[in-house]
Amino acid sequence: MPDHFAVPEPDEAVKLALRRVRETTAVGGGSDMEGLEFNEVVVNMGPQHPSTHGVLRLVVTLDGELVKDVIPVIGYLHRCKEKLAEKRTYYQYIPIVDRTEYLASMNCEWGYVMTVEKLMGIRPTRRAEFIRVIVGELMRIASHQVAVGTFVADLSPLGTAMVFYMFRDRELILDLLEEVSGARMMFNYLRFGGVRYDLPAGWVDKCRELMKRMPKLIDEYEALVDDNAIFLQRTQGKGVITQQDIVDYGITGPNARASGVPLDLRRTRPYSVYPELDFEVCTAAHGDVFDRYRVRMDEMRESVKIVEQCLDMLPRGRVQLGSLRAPYVITPPPGSCYVGQENPRGEYGTYIVSDGSRYPYRLKFRDPCFCNLQLFPKLLSGNKIADAVAISGSIDLVLGGIDR
Amino acid sequence: MTLEIGTVDLTMDEIAGRLAAAFPVELSAVSVQEPDTVVAHLERTRLKDVARRLKELPQLAYETLNWIAGVDLGAQLESVYHVYSWRTNTYLELHVTVPRAKAELDTVTDVWPAADWHEREAWDMMGIRYLGHPDLRRILLKDDFVGHPLRKDYVDLAENHPHA
Amino acid sequence: MSDMVPDRLKIGYPKLEKFQNPNVITTTADFVFSWARSNSVFPFTYGLACCAIEMLSSGFARFDVARYGMEVFRPTPRQCDLMIVAGTLNEKMAPVLKRLYDQMAEPKWVVSMGACATSGGPFYDGYNVVNGVDKVVPVDVYIPGCPPRPEALFQGLLELQGKIKQHSFAPVLPGAPEDAGS
Repeated sequence: MPDHFAVPEPDEAVKLALRRVRETTAVGGGSDMEGLEFNEVVVNMGPQHPSTHGVLRLVVTLDGELVKDVIPVIGYLHRCKEKLAEKRTYYQYIPIVDRTEYLASMNCEWGYVMTVEKLMGIRPTRRAEFIRVIVGELMRIASHQVAVGTFVADLSPLGTAMVFYMFRDRELILDLLEEVSGARMMFNYLRFGGVRYDLPAGWVDKCRELMKRMPKLIDEYEALVDDNAIFLQRTQGKGVITQQDIVDYGITGPNARASGVPLDLRRTRPYSVYPELDFEVCTAAHGDVFDRYRVRMDEMRESVKIVEQCLDMLPRGRVQLGSLRAPYVITPPPGSCYVGQENPRGEYGTYIVSDGSRYPYRLKFRDPCFCNLQLFPKLLSGNKIADAVAISGSIDLVLGGIDR
Repeated sequence: MTLEIGTVDLTMDEIAGRLAAAFPVELSAVSVQEPDTVVAHLERTRLKDVARRLKELPQLAYETLNWIAGVDLGAQLESVYHVYSWRTNTYLELHVTVPRAKAELDTVTDVWPAADWHEREAWDMMGIRYLGHPDLRRILLKDDFVGHPLRKDYVDLAENHPHA
Repeated sequence: MSDMVPDRLKIGYPKLEKFQNPNVITTTADFVFSWARSNSVFPFTYGLACCAIEMLSSGFARFDVARYGMEVFRPTPRQCDLMIVAGTLNEKMAPVLKRLYDQMAEPKWVVSMGACATSGGPFYDGYNVVNGVDKVVPVDVYIPGCPPRPEALFQGLLELQGKIKQHSFAPVLPGAPEDAGS
């Protein structure tokens, strides 16, 4: 009979946390009340936890409710993607890239496909570029909806209204993407030199209609929380990411932009047809939790603008290079290359080393959430546990990308 | 402190030239990969020194580490560092090779704090040991995993699959 | 504990053989209990990867899982009957899965959602991937798909409801006839 009450052997992370507790005790470190005995507790949050957004494990050292130290333990979703790249052809690997950051699949595929195209020295057709931008920005809206929705759901029990509204509208976007690619989540849509299918008849009108409705829907979401005193109190001033942190740890995406740094790869390292489009880089001043929420809401509005412009500017033409279907087996010339693109969470890119054969020699993902997660020990220490949950929700982690 | 992006306007060839001039001995095969990356090979014994000086270069100042990748090149293992310069808005890709039998490199965590987890991942997956790293242990695989999977000669061991 | 009670106070319970194995006497009670159990399943939020997002979507407005009585997703295994394993299981996570499954109280069921949980999925040849959740816990319903649409998840959950309805509240003791319920 298994012993349900047995405490498992402490693993490396817990041993490290216990060692650190002993070291601070030895030098007299303690709680903020002088002369009183203290007792620091090492608590495990995860890997199965409602608020860690995936299988993230945080080994938290608590002094009462104050978080003293956090050791994130990852790898509970490590699916050997980088090794699998060496056993799959470039074309066969596209669906696997989809499953890296599963909330922003189109953007992940884009990051991979761009690198292979650069290695091969080909450029996609112009119509395909516009279609990629449209589906990429639609995916960005859908991804932010999940990110902000689950973040607000963490602040209160799961019965919060906002996440229901956001998921309801996310279904509208997924409907559009399903019409284009055939799947609700793992699209397998982008190809080297273009996209797989052209837009179906009537899709442009449906998309335009949804984009007309979208700003009002975003107003609805904001009306739910923006004036809520409890929400403001729990989010303003907490979890500040300084600009020095951004430089030190390579933070990118909305987390960096919320601290006032206009780092947006669509503007600083332009790719595709973004130079021809008119949109703002959304930044905020303080870098706290509320600003990260604010930046994501603003970005949703900017994405709507981008999609509308692209729908107006959509040229006629082919959506794939070459004959009816892109070649199944491509062999890029030997060399290596890295291209990063602006994922809803930051800079996502792939570094591919090719040896001229059908399989990549080495494929490495640069994942934004992996770099953002390094900041956790610094960001969460000194906060109460409830704030720690709010802060970790605002960083927007997707474990599929962290663990690959 | 306000972080500005792209305040210094230099062409890629000028940047490559300046790097080659600043590090004539340590960097070799300095080349430009359009549109905004300089690729160079770095001698492994000079890694820490060059890293520190790269961060403090007057106009180029590679202050942020983007990622570190381990690559298995057969007789050698390679550690690729991708660093970013805010002032010029360009990247530098440094390739450092170590012999397979003695895969050790100096850590750069004291220069770029972001290297912490990236080096742990390179150790975990490729087996490149970073000397001086504050906490070099496995990050993605379980603690008692045997072997370094991304090496080309990795064989799937039964002890790594207790639940097969 | 029972040796602290003096003999004169011990109550002798009659042996209820009729309720020790599922048989014709227990059928009505079975019907009532199974109907109640199947229409009010408490799922355990064991979303590991991408399938978890489809599981979440099925809980929200468009694909409403509340119409089947399963909207009470509890994060703790102690309060759940159904564990929906949604996502890829790997060697690091497998002991955690076993531990959480052990913490659930009987009767409990497991649904393996998605190709990864069923058999490893697109990552079947990974060095770290367990090819199927059924190598660690017993699975009742397998739902194929990558990810399965919420409608597919509902088909699986309806199959599970059918299976729960065949479950008997009487325990099956060793030596019971082969076709005793559950």
